[in-house]
Amino acid sequence: MSEAPGPLAGIRVLELGGEVAAPYAAKLFADLGADVVKIESPDGDPARRRGPFVGGRPDPETSGLFLYLNANKRGITLDLTSAPARAAFDRLVAGADVLIHGAHPLDRDAQGLSWERLAAINPRLVMASIAPFGGSGPHAAWRAVDLVSWSAGGLATLNGDPNHPELPPLKAYGDQAGYQGGLNAAIASLAALLERAASGLGQHIDVSLQECVANILELTFEWFPYAGLVASRLGAKPIQPLCFMECRDGWIFICCVEEHQWRQFVELMGSPDWAGLELFENRLARGKNFDALQIFLQEWCREQSVADLYEAAQRRRIPFAPVSTLGDLLASPHLTARGFFATLELPGVGAYRMPGAPYHLSATPWRLRRPAPRLGEHTDEVLAEAATASGGPR
Amino acid sequence: MTTRRAPLAGIRVADFTWVWAGPHCTQQLAHLGAEVIRVESATRPCVTRLLPPFAEFKPGLNRSGYFNQYNQGKKSITLDLKQPAAIEVARRLCAASDVVVENFAAGVMDRMGLGWERLHAAKPDLIMISLSGYGAWGPDRDKVSYGPAQVPLSGLSSLTGYRGHPPMHVGVSYGDPTAGLHGAFAVLAALWHRARTGAGQYIDLSQWETSIAVLGDAIIGESIGAPPPARDGNRVPHMAPHGVFRALGEDRWIALAAPDDAAWARLAAVLGRPELATDPRFATLDQRKANEEELEALVTAWTESRAAEDAVAVLQDAGVPAHVAATNRDLAEDPHLEARQAFTRFPHPEVGTRQHIGPPWRMSASPPGVTRPAPCLGADTTDVLRDVCGYAADEIEALRAAGALS
Repeated sequence: MSEAPGPLAGIRVLELGGEVAAPYAAKLFADLGADVVKIESPDGDPARRRGPFVGGRPDPETSGLFLYLNANKRGITLDLTSAPARAAFDRLVAGADVLIHGAHPLDRDAQGLSWERLAAINPRLVMASIAPFGGSGPHAAWRAVDLVSWSAGGLATLNGDPNHPELPPLKAYGDQAGYQGGLNAAIASLAALLERAASGLGQHIDVSLQECVANILELTFEWFPYAGLVASRLGAKPIQPLCFMECRDGWIFICCVEEHQWRQFVELMGSPDWAGLELFENRLARGKNFDALQIFLQEWCREQSVADLYEAAQRRRIPFAPVSTLGDLLASPHLTARGFFATLELPGVGAYRMPGAPYHLSATPWRLRRPAPRLGEHTDEVLAEAATASGGPR
Repeated sequence: MTTRRAPLAGIRVADFTWVWAGPHCTQQLAHLGAEVIRVESATRPCVTRLLPPFAEFKPGLNRSGYFNQYNQGKKSITLDLKQPAAIEVARRLCAASDVVVENFAAGVMDRMGLGWERLHAAKPDLIMISLSGYGAWGPDRDKVSYGPAQVPLSGLSSLTGYRGHPPMHVGVSYGDPTAGLHGAFAVLAALWHRARTGAGQYIDLSQWETSIAVLGDAIIGESIGAPPPARDGNRVPHMAPHGVFRALGEDRWIALAAPDDAAWARLAAVLGRPELATDPRFATLDQRKANEEELEALVTAWTESRAAEDAVAVLQDAGVPAHVAATNRDLAEDPHLEARQAFTRFPHPEVGTRQHIGPPWRMSASPPGVTRPAPCLGADTTDVLRDVCGYAADEIEALRAAGALS
C-alpha cells in the first residue's frame, strides 16, 4: 500500500450514504487520494448485511459489497438524530470540502441535511444529494430500490427475450442504477470544486437516479421524439449476428457489425455452403433471417472452444468476446499484467481480491491505501481531529 | 452577488472520439461548460450519425437522434487525418486545448503522429485520456472491441438472465457510458491536479476494467470461492418480493420491491391481504425467499388487473417502492421529469427543436453548460481553424482546396 499522494490529496469528503450510490461516488474520490470520512448510523451501512461474506457467513465486517465500496475511507458512526452527534457532524461539515449523501428527501431534515443550514455553516461546501427521483418534482417523495430506479429510468424495458414476451423486462446484475448515480454525483461534485476555485463558494447538487439511468439509453430514447416510436425489448435486432452462442465449454458473443467482419467470420468457419445463401447476403438480411442463421451458427459453434474461437476471430480483427465467467476474469493474463486486481487480507478471516484501478493516471496513480473501515473504527480519531481543528472552513 | 459560471467554462477539449464511450465522456465535460470540439471525418462519419432514429425517418448525417443525444453543445470540425496538413491542424488544436480525449483502438493516435509524447512535448500541461477497449498496454491491447462486446467480456452477461436461460445482454452497450463517466471523473481529477501543480498527465482507461469496476462484490465473491450469483431474473438474495410484474394493457409492467418486513406488511395491505404480513410462509425474508414463486403470484394477481400508473400511485402512497417499467415514451411524457427540467430542447437547423435528455443533476449556482444542440457535421470548421488554431482565411481556403478539411 503506497504512500504516494493521489491527485485529489487534500480534499476532505464526508460521505453519508448506504449501499452503492453515495459510497461509490466517495470511493472515486478516496481512490485518488481524497480524505474520505464515511459516516454510518450505529447499525451500519445496509451493505454490511449483504453478501458475499469473506468469512463465509454473515458478518458486518466481511461483506464483499461493503469491503469493495469503502476501501481507502475512514469510518465513523454518528446517530444524526441526537443533539451531540449533530454538533459533531456540524464541526465536520465546517471543515469539509464535499458532502455526498444519499438521504431520501423526506428524511433529510431529521438528519440536519438541509442545504440552507449546511451552507450557513460552511459556504465553501459542495453538497451532492442523491435521491431516486431527485430532490424536486411531483415524485420527489417516492421511494425506490435499485431495480425500481433502473426500471423508472427506462432500462429494464430494453432487456428481454423476443421469443418470450411473457417474461418480464429484466434488470442487469447488481445495483447498477447506484453505480451510475455514484459516477454522476462524483463528476458533478468534483466539477463544483473546480468552480469554487473561481467563485470561492460551494453549491448544492441535486442528483436523480432515474435521470442517471435515462442518460444511458443509447439510441432508444430518441425513437419517440424523432419518430414517434416506442422502443421495446421484443423487437428483432436489425443487424446480425450480434448474439450469444454456446460453445462446447462455455458461451461466446458473436459480433459482426461490419460486412468485412462477417466475411472474415465466414472464412474462419471454412466458408460453409449455407453462408452463401441469399438469406444471409448482408447484415440487414441476416437480421431479418436470424431464425435460420441462428441454427447454422449454433451448430458450428457447439463444436468450438470459447478461447480458441475468441483468439481466431480476434486475429482476423473480428470483435468477438467471451462471455467471461468471474473466474475467467481473475485468471486473465492481460488483467493480471496490468495489475488490475488488488489483493487484501482480512486479519483472522482470509484474503480476497477486488477490482483495482479503473484508470491509470501517469503522474498521480490510483492507490490502495487502506482497507474498508470496521464499523466506527475511526470515530474517536476523526472527532478528535475535528475538535482540535482551528475551526471553520479553510 | 457574483455571477457564477459553469464549472468548466474556459476549458477546451479536443475530442477525437466516436461512437458512444468517448462521446459520452466529452458529453459530461460539455454539460459542465467545457468547449468541446469534435474532430470528425466527412468521408467516414461517426457511426452514430448513420444510425436511426432519424427525424421523420429521413436519413441524413445531421438527423440522427443517437448522435444528437450524445453530442449536445459540442462543436464539429472535419479533418481528413490521412493528410499531413490535416494532422498539423489537429496538432495545433491539441496545443490550444486543455484536454485531448480519444477512444480509437490502442496505438492509432501514435501512428497518426498524435500520440501522447508528441502532444505533451508541444504543451507540457496537456491532459490526455485514451478510452480503449482493453487499455493502452498489456498482452490483449491490440484486440478489437465494440461496445456491445464489453457486456459479455466484463462478466456482466454471465450474471444477467432469466433462471435457466442463457446469459443475456442488458439492453444497451453498457460498457460505453460506464467507461465514459469514469473517464470524465479522471479528467476532472487531472484538471484539479493541474490547477494545483501546473502539470498535465496521460490517462489510460480500459473499457474492460471500468466495466468490471461495477461488479466488485461479485469479483470478491469469486476470489473467496463463493458460488457465482445465479442468473435469477429480477430476484435478489436480500429482498422479496423484488421484481417486475405484469400490469393491465399490452406489455405494461411495474417494478416493485419490499426492502424489509415492514415494507412487506405495507405491500400486503395494498394487496388486500394484510394477514400475509404474519403468515408463516411470508413473514420474514427467509420465508419469502423460500416461497417466492407463490409470493410473486400473489403480487401478479393484484397488478395484472390494474393500470400500471394507477397501481404505482397506490403503492407509493403506501410507502412501497414502485415505478412503471418505463418505456422511452413514458419518459418523454413524464410530468415529473418535465417539472425537474430533465430535458433539453434547442433549435437545430435540420431537425427542428427536439426533446433530449439533459444531465442527471442540477447545480444550485452554476448555469447549465450546454446551450446549443449537437453540431451539424463540420459546422465549426472555419471558425475553429481561424479562432483556435490561428489559421488565416487564405490558409483555410488552401487546406480546403487540398481536401484536408473533409
